[in-house]
Amino acid sequence: MIIMNDTLIQDSLKVANNVLEQHSEFDKSFNLWMWIAILELGIIAFLLLKGRIRPKETAKQKFKNDSLKQTIDFNNIINSSFNSIQLYDELKVKCHPDRFPTNKDKNEIAVALFQEISKNKTNIKRLLELKEEAKQKLNINF
Amino acid sequence: MFSNSWNTILEWFRDRSERSKLVRSFNESARVSFVAGIAPTLLKASISKGERSYRHQFSNWLNTGFRIQAFTGRVLSKDELIHIGKVILNDSVLVRRLVVLGFDTIEIHGDAGAYGCRWQLKDYIPLPNFNNDNNE
Repeated sequence: MIIMNDTLIQDSLKVANNVLEQHSEFDKSFNLWMWIAILELGIIAFLLLKGRIRPKETAKQKFKNDSLKQTIDFNNIINSSFNSIQLYDELKVKCHPDRFPTNKDKNEIAVALFQEISKNKTNIKRLLELKEEAKQKLNINF
Repeated sequence: MFSNSWNTILEWFRDRSERSKLVRSFNESARVSFVAGIAPTLLKASISKGERSYRHQFSNWLNTGFRIQAFTGRVLSKDELIHIGKVILNDSVLVRRLVVLGFDTIEIHGDAGAYGCRWQLKDYIPLPNFNNDNNE
């Protein structure tokens, strides 16, 4: 009978230990989840505030950003610096409206082309396009 | 306030990078054109001090000039200098980019001789008055 009582006491101590261990594990896991939740809250708060903190784009900044987005054709600039004068001189002679005094349609095309040529006298890329246009519309041989 | 200062610092670095990129791209194109025989003269762009009286609302504090040197080995005529300048000034995209990156002066000169030409960029682009925008 005495022996049985001892084993009962030992068992109850084990059970108590097990309960305590389980409880402490539950505490640890609870802390972990709490920290994860706080971290998530922090991330959400940061993302929400980030949008509000970002300053409103002013007209000046917009102008600047738009300008920086455009691409510059440096090859055309360099090429135009040395070769546009000759092409312009050639085009202005061959596409002059006075060369088509009798044909009204061609004269009108020549007027429009001549205006465009004068406008783009330093842009060789555009002048070459106009040269092709003159070949097709005015049947000019260069 | 902190955010504003931070953005100013970032913008300053971005502008510096864009200015260098612009000069590098110009020089690279000029070099390729010269080697390919498209351009008879080698052009070289660099950043110069600029002219203070040409300042505009985007102007940098220092070094506001975009200088182009033509390596011809001879004295360039005034017409040649003006033509190179006009080609650049007639390219509205390039002028706009130069203005927003803080340049206010374009300088063209040869590698020989003592004179060159310079233009103020604000004459070639309609710049709205952005100063009122800050008060909005």
